[in-house]
Amino acid sequence: MFLALHEIRRAKVRFGLLSGAVGLLVFLILFQQALLGGLINQFIGAIEHQSGEVLVYNGQARKNLEGSIILPAQEEAIAAVEGVGEASPLGEATFTVMAGGSVTDAVLFGYVLGKPGAPTTLIEGRLPEGPNEAVASEKDRDDGFDLGEVVQVQPDGVSITVVGIARDINYSVSPVLFTDFATYESAKRTRNPDAETILPSAIAIHLAPGANAAEVAQRINDEVEGVQALTRQQAVDGSPGVSSVRSSFVIILGLFYLVVPLVTGLFFLIVTFQKASALTLLRAIGARSRTLVSALLIQVLLVMAVGSLIAFGLYAVALQGVQNLGVRVEVMPAVYTSLVVLVLALSTSLVAVRRVLRLDPLAATTGVGVHL
Amino acid sequence: MTVLDMRDVRKVYRSGDADIVALDHATLQVDHGEIVALLGPSGSGKTTLLSIAGGLLAATEGKVMVGGHDISEYDGKQLTEFRRNNVGFVFQSVNLVPFLTAEENLLVVDELGGGKGGKGAKARARQLLEELGLGHRTRNLPSQLSGGERQRVAIGRALFNNPRLVLFDEPTSALDTKLGAQVMELIRNEMKARDTAAIIVTHDRRMTEYADRTVEIVDGRLGAEAPAH
Ligand SMILES: Nc1ncnc2c1ncn2[C@@H]1O[C@H](COP(=O)(O)OP(=O)(O)OP(=O)(O)O)[C@@H](O)[C@H]1O
Ligand SMILES: [Mg+2]
Repeated sequence: MFLALHEIRRAKVRFGLLSGAVGLLVFLILFQQALLGGLINQFIGAIEHQSGEVLVYNGQARKNLEGSIILPAQEEAIAAVEGVGEASPLGEATFTVMAGGSVTDAVLFGYVLGKPGAPTTLIEGRLPEGPNEAVASEKDRDDGFDLGEVVQVQPDGVSITVVGIARDINYSVSPVLFTDFATYESAKRTRNPDAETILPSAIAIHLAPGANAAEVAQRINDEVEGVQALTRQQAVDGSPGVSSVRSSFVIILGLFYLVVPLVTGLFFLIVTFQKASALTLLRAIGARSRTLVSALLIQVLLVMAVGSLIAFGLYAVALQGVQNLGVRVEVMPAVYTSLVVLVLALSTSLVAVRRVLRLDPLAATTGVGVHL
Repeated sequence: MTVLDMRDVRKVYRSGDADIVALDHATLQVDHGEIVALLGPSGSGKTTLLSIAGGLLAATEGKVMVGGHDISEYDGKQLTEFRRNNVGFVFQSVNLVPFLTAEENLLVVDELGGGKGGKGAKARARQLLEELGLGHRTRNLPSQLSGGERQRVAIGRALFNNPRLVLFDEPTSALDTKLGAQVMELIRNEMKARDTAAIIVTHDRRMTEYADRTVEIVDGRLGAEAPAH
């Protein structure tokens, strides 16, 4: 402690700059992770947070609800597959609606009340209990989708009252209303009055007790013609947009995760080089290698801790500014990220540690040729 | 009582194919509180002898006893502990940690041993620096001190763990004659006040007058011992 702290005290600017740089980099990591999470949630939050463990799309739909329909015969066949507890229709479509006095797009998810496909992240109000009721997304409260507000499908379609608010249930970056399937049907008829039957976009499934989602999905794919069954997670990951957003973010994030330990590793290596003669002197007058190594590691820890605190501060402030993106401050992922970065930084500082361990105290007698 | 007892110590450096004999059958005893000047030309093996006596370098042959312990049998860990607790060093060039103040350069000795000295250590560091004429310099960094002041801080550092033996490697070579004489005077006074034995390496014959006894070294061989004064 003595050595580590006194050195930092005498080189405040240097260590301050490093902590600041680490703070900025960790902040960028946290912020991008939050953005990524927020974006993905806005794309497919509704799928991730509905209750069906398995979703069955049309085989031609390429994992996109928008272009998917399920025929009655397929629905029956799906319900008969082993491991399927409950199978019920799920409708998805985008409508022009009047909400909060202005015209906007909204996605309706129609599910059979009490059956799979209900939103799972209710934070206020209740689930729909009859026709013309809906659960809306927390994020869209201020846009005419708050509890008690009425949203009307255009032109002159059904009027839906918001009776519940759920978290992270947006879809395709649009407001979402989870309604009774009948309400969804009547909304569809507004647009297409001549339609005889309204087919569901997908089938949502509750597993039979003891069944495994991946196995059931596989069995449906094997046994039912023309459909593609996906576990909820597969449906999320495979949604159009999600994988491309994710892969571009992953590259950038990966680079940041690399840069932090490289910067700190290099910094401590250079500092160790610079004070080689002092370290050699200390070894010569009886400092254990362990003492010098722990001083180094304490400094790494301190820099990373201060850097993380700076990052947390920036993160909390910055997320205030992007709240409308549906991004929230989440403590555990932030802590987890800073721990990962800490471990990476400690591992690159091992290069500097190795230099310290290689110091030859005898070099203090000559002063010249103090090598590492 | 003998503080340092080196017998038939030989040190051979291997460099490439050639063997360099830096010390050849060196035998030297230093008594409690005795100041020995080690005088010899450049390359004669002075630093080598000091390094062996201080547990920084292992002898190729021979026996090295310090304070009754045979350090030629010690392993690396034991030697580190030995250096921390039993000897004081003033090296030829680098002696101070640049990011520690004068006072902290003394305290670091206690810290390396686990900081057992506590508050007392701080008082002792102040007092020692006071004695060395640096009472007003305790909070200065080495870069803010003159060469003579730095050397005096180094002496304080070497004395801080109350060693029985202090090894000085050309303590005045970087100082002018007058300052060098002052520092030698100071070393002598401090050693005598503490009854501490010392070996002072020099190639300047004038400096030997501050020692109780002078040992000459030429080509790794210890020679004619002449009492000073
Ligand atoms: N690490 C080493 N490897 C090889 N030879 C060495 C090494 N260290 C010292 N020597 C040789 O051993 C001899 C004695 O060196 P030493 O440093 O003890 O001399 P010295 O008397 O202290 O000289 P100076 O007054 O210049 O400091 C010299 O010939 C030197 O070249
Ligand atoms: Mg020398």
